[in-house]
Amino acid sequence: MPENTPYMVTAYIITAAILIGYAVFLYRRTLKP
Amino acid sequence: MRLLKTGRWITVVGLSLLAAVYVRALAFTPVERTQGVAQKIFYLHVPAAIWTETGMILVGVASIFYLFLKDPRLDRFAEASAEVGMLFGTIVLTTGPIWGKPIWGTWWTWDARLTLTLLLFLMYVGYLLLRGAVTEPGLRARYAAVLGISGMCLVPFVHLSVYMFRTLHPQPIVLKPSAPSLPGAMLATLAFSFLVFTVLYVGFVTQRYALTLLREQTEPHA
Amino acid sequence: MPDVWRHAWLLARKDLLIEFRSRTAILSAVVFTILVLLVFNFGRDPTAVAAVDLAPSILWVTFTFAAMLALNRAFQLELENQALDGLLLAPVSRSSIYLGKLMANLVFVATVEGIGLPLFALFFNVSVVPVLGPLCAVIALATVGFVAVGTLFSAMTGRTRFAELLLPVLLLPFMLPPLIWAVLATSALLAGRPLSEVVGWLRLLAAFDIVFVTLAFFLFPATVNE
Repeated sequence: MPENTPYMVTAYIITAAILIGYAVFLYRRTLKP
Repeated sequence: MRLLKTGRWITVVGLSLLAAVYVRALAFTPVERTQGVAQKIFYLHVPAAIWTETGMILVGVASIFYLFLKDPRLDRFAEASAEVGMLFGTIVLTTGPIWGKPIWGTWWTWDARLTLTLLLFLMYVGYLLLRGAVTEPGLRARYAAVLGISGMCLVPFVHLSVYMFRTLHPQPIVLKPSAPSLPGAMLATLAFSFLVFTVLYVGFVTQRYALTLLREQTEPHA
Repeated sequence: MPDVWRHAWLLARKDLLIEFRSRTAILSAVVFTILVLLVFNFGRDPTAVAAVDLAPSILWVTFTFAAMLALNRAFQLELENQALDGLLLAPVSRSSIYLGKLMANLVFVATVEGIGLPLFALFFNVSVVPVLGPLCAVIALATVGFVAVGTLFSAMTGRTRFAELLLPVLLLPFMLPPLIWAVLATSALLAGRPLSEVVGWLRLLAAFDIVFVTLAFFLFPATVNE
């Protein structure tokens, strides 16, 4: 069902955003002197 | 700091492997017949859900040991596991409704996984809020441990009541998200994804733990 | 009677005496209950929704609020004049302090429920008497459940900055399961379902109570030990 694709894409993007976002957050928090 | 570096490396490996999971799930795993492409959300949703729950159980176990041993490392671990568990919970609670909408026509359903994850998420929020509200480290660790153990003990009850609810209100079998008999290729993708989420959990918890340690070292106790 | 229980009862008596002498807390809880029931009553369209459909939820929302009121003030008595230190110095085990608080809170909430239930039956024209026995069992078991966890948590939140806000937040995930079981059981009872359908929920409630009272009994000392 091609009409499902937007949902799948959104979910995949959100998941990646959450995981990468947290990784970046941790990286920046641990850079401070 | 070595622990931090290790954590960062593990996370980088995890994220790289996550990209591989994406490729495999999207391009090399068959499309499910009845649900179509949306079913692929399953490969992210399920491992995240498993780790949301496991994260809470680990918080509980670490808390029990903390109350007996009073080792601050256990407390730091519990805090880290709670934060990462909540993160994975967020993934479950966002991908769940996004999956539910095209398949069941509704954003929210009281199915087993979503209900449990919602409660776990609320427990994580409470746990982190309690930690934030108590300034004295010893007291904070003890209080957090009490809450963590209580939370862990609640989990079986939630499972039980969801099971009872389902026996009273049978769910449609056809479109059940957790199909017990998955074809091999799908099972392999799921297993791979679970492995990657495990790596990410370890990487994140290690870094978060290191962060707490760094903070303790740079800010002398009052 | 083993010491733990005797001490607990003495402590509970002390709290209850203080509470019932001033009567402010119990009165405000009762008034609040009546207010909630009235609002729900006027808030619904009687022709659109039958009382019996909404009734279980309304009853339990009312009882939950009453329990929260009781729990919020649970350790407030001890915050004044550092009475908690006095209590900790007394030759009673920490766990009996927990049991004493639990008993006092239960009596408080039970009193409010005892007034609330007949009022509820009256305002919503729900016939409660035929199922009174099982209904009281459901109410008793569910109440013990949330008050047991709530008493433990209120010992921790009492000294924090946003105590009245933090306690409900912490308690929410723990109140949801017993609350849901209680609403389902109440719903079944008021709809005249056979008792066999309700027994499952009663068993869950009882198991929850046993687990959490025991857990709180053993964890409470960790909340007050220096």
